Amino acid sequence: MAKQSFHGPLQRVNDCCWRIPKSYKPGMRVDGLIYASEQMIEQIKGDQAPEQVANVAFLPGIQHASLAMPDIHWGYGFCIGGVCATDPDEGGVISPGGVGYDINCGVRLVTSNLSYQDVKPHLAELVDQLFRHVPTGVGRGGKYKFNKQELRQLMQQGPAYLQDRGLTTAEDLEHTEGRGCLDGAISDFVSDRAIERGSGQCGTLGSGNHFLEVQVVDAIFDEVAAAAMGLQKDMVCVMIHSGSRGLGYQVCDDALKQLRGVPERYGIELPDRQLACAPINSPEGERYLGAMCAAANYAWCNRQLLMAQARDVFAQVFGRSWHELQMNLIYDVAHNIAKLEMHQIGGRDRRVWVHRKGATRAFPPHHVELPEAYQSIGQPVLIPGDMGRASWVLAGQVGSMEQTFGTACHGAGRRMSRTQAVKQAKGRRIDQELAARGVIARARSWKGLAEEQPDAYKDVNTVVDVVHRANLASKVARMRPIGVIKG
Amino acid sequence: MYEVFEHTADLGLRVRANSLEGLLAEAGRGLFSLIVTNLEQVKSVQERLIRIEGGEPEYLLFDWLNELLYTFDVEGLLFCEFSLQLDATGLTAMCRGEAMQLDRHGMDHEVKAITYHGLKVQQASSSCDGHDRWLAEVIVDI
Repeated sequence: MAKQSFHGPLQRVNDCCWRIPKSYKPGMRVDGLIYASEQMIEQIKGDQAPEQVANVAFLPGIQHASLAMPDIHWGYGFCIGGVCATDPDEGGVISPGGVGYDINCGVRLVTSNLSYQDVKPHLAELVDQLFRHVPTGVGRGGKYKFNKQELRQLMQQGPAYLQDRGLTTAEDLEHTEGRGCLDGAISDFVSDRAIERGSGQCGTLGSGNHFLEVQVVDAIFDEVAAAAMGLQKDMVCVMIHSGSRGLGYQVCDDALKQLRGVPERYGIELPDRQLACAPINSPEGERYLGAMCAAANYAWCNRQLLMAQARDVFAQVFGRSWHELQMNLIYDVAHNIAKLEMHQIGGRDRRVWVHRKGATRAFPPHHVELPEAYQSIGQPVLIPGDMGRASWVLAGQVGSMEQTFGTACHGAGRRMSRTQAVKQAKGRRIDQELAARGVIARARSWKGLAEEQPDAYKDVNTVVDVVHRANLASKVARMRPIGVIKG
Repeated sequence: MYEVFEHTADLGLRVRANSLEGLLAEAGRGLFSLIVTNLEQVKSVQERLIRIEGGEPEYLLFDWLNELLYTFDVEGLLFCEFSLQLDATGLTAMCRGEAMQLDRHGMDHEVKAITYHGLKVQQASSSCDGHDRWLAEVIVDI
C-alpha cells in the first residue's frame, strides 16, 4: 500500500474542526471529525490518515464520531491521533489496533531545582552519563531483573509494586494517570512469549521516537497552573517517552492472532484487517482487555524505572540526592491506550471504552480522577515536540469532555515519512546540527536520528494552538530541549 | 529482491521473487535489513529450524516474519540465509545467522511488530521471463 492522497469529502465545521460525513462510505456508523487548522488540513489530505478516520467509524458501538487530533498522521488501522469511544451496552467493540502495538506508550515529566545556568557547564557530561546508564536501542537489557512470577505481580499492580524496592514513592503514584494501575489487568492472559520479550526490558527506553530529554522551561503561559505543577521559567526538567516494550508488542500481536476470523463470526464488517476487534462483552474481548491492562501497568513501571535511573544520574553528576534536587514527577500520561470512562453522551452518563491511539487524556478541572494538586487547574497534558524545537505542558479543559471524550493531542505528528527524512539527511550530521542549536544529542543509530530530525515533524506549536483554541487543553508552559538520548 | 517503500509513521517492505519460497526468504532478509545497517556482515554460524503452520500466503508471510522478529527480540539472533520448504500444512525453514553484535552489524531500527495494514501477497503470471512472479507488501511498526 503506497502513499496516496485522500480525495474524500472534508467539510469545515469551524476553524478548528473538519467533518468526513458518514455518507462518505457505506458502513460508517458516525461522522469522522478531524481537529486541525485550515493550513494543516491540506497537509493531512496528503496521505491515508483521513481514510483511516472514516474506517474507524465502521466499528460497532462507536459513539458520537470517529475523532482525530491535530497531530493526525497515517498509521496502521487507526490513524495516529485517533480517538474512538465504544459502548459495551450497544454491542461496542474493543480493537487492539485502536491501542496499538506499544500499549501505554506515554510521557512523563520531572521537575528539578536546577536552572539552565546550573546545568550548562555539566550538560555534555550529564547527557553522556544518561546515555551510558539508561539502556537505549536494541539488544541492551535493563539493570532491573524480574522473574516470571514477579513480572506477573508487577503487571497486576503497576508501579505500586516497585514501592517495596524503594523505586516508587507515594507522590509518584499520585502523579501518574490512574495511579499507574488499570483495575482490569489479568496478567494470566499475558502469554509466556510476551513475558519472555518483556522480562529484561522493564526500565529500557527502546528506539524509534522514544527518548529521554533534558529540557528547559522557556515560556510560561499560565502562571497559576505552572505554579501548581511546580514549573517555573528557566527550570531544567526531564521528559521521558517510552511504552511497554516487547511485552506490549507481543500482547497486541497475540490478540490480533486470536482475533483472526472473530469479526466475521460476530458479523462485523471491517474495511481493514488491522482494525480487527471483538465485542467488549465476549470471551475474546475480555481476554484482550485483561492482557492489555496488564501490559499498560508494565509500561507505567517501565517509565517509573527510566525515571529512577535518570534521578540516579542527576544525583551522581550534581552530587546531591534526587530529593535534594527536587526531581518530582509532575505527571505521567498514557497516549496509546483504551480506558473505561464515564462520559455524557446524548444527555446521560455512560461508561464507554475510549481508545486513544496517539492521543492524550485531558481531563478538565474538578474531575474526580485528578489528584488534589491539579483539581483546580485540570490534568497536566504532556506534549513532546521534536528534538530541535519545543515540547509543551497543557492543562485539560472542559471542552475536551464536551467534544473529544476528554482527549487532546499527543505530539507534533510526523510530516515526513521515515524514508523521506533519511533521504533529506543524506550527507548531514544531525547531531552536529542540533549541537549548533544548543542541543546535545546521543543516539545509537544514525538512521534513527535522521528519521527523527526536527524537520520530519510538524511544528508542535501549530498543533498545540489548535488544541488550545478548541478548548480541549490550554497552554501552561513551553520547554526547549538541551539534551537528548535516543535508541 | 526487496525495497523499502514510504509510510508516514512506519516502514513498508516490498518484496519480489519467482516463487513463494523465494518470496518468504527474501522477506526475511528484508526484515533484518531494516534492523541492522550491515546485513552483509552477518555470518552463518548458527542454525535454527523454524516451523510455521498455515496455508494462506498472507498469514504465512505474517507469521513467518513475526517468528523471526520474536527470535531476534528474545535471543538477539540475526539471520541472513534461509532454506525454505513449503508443504501442505505450512512452512519449514532452516535459518542461518549469528547473534547481533552492535559494533559490527550496526543498528538501524527496532522493529516493534509486523502489521496487517496493507499486507498483501500476490502472484502474477504475466512476467516476461515466463516465471510466476510473486509480490509481497508489508508495513512494520517502528
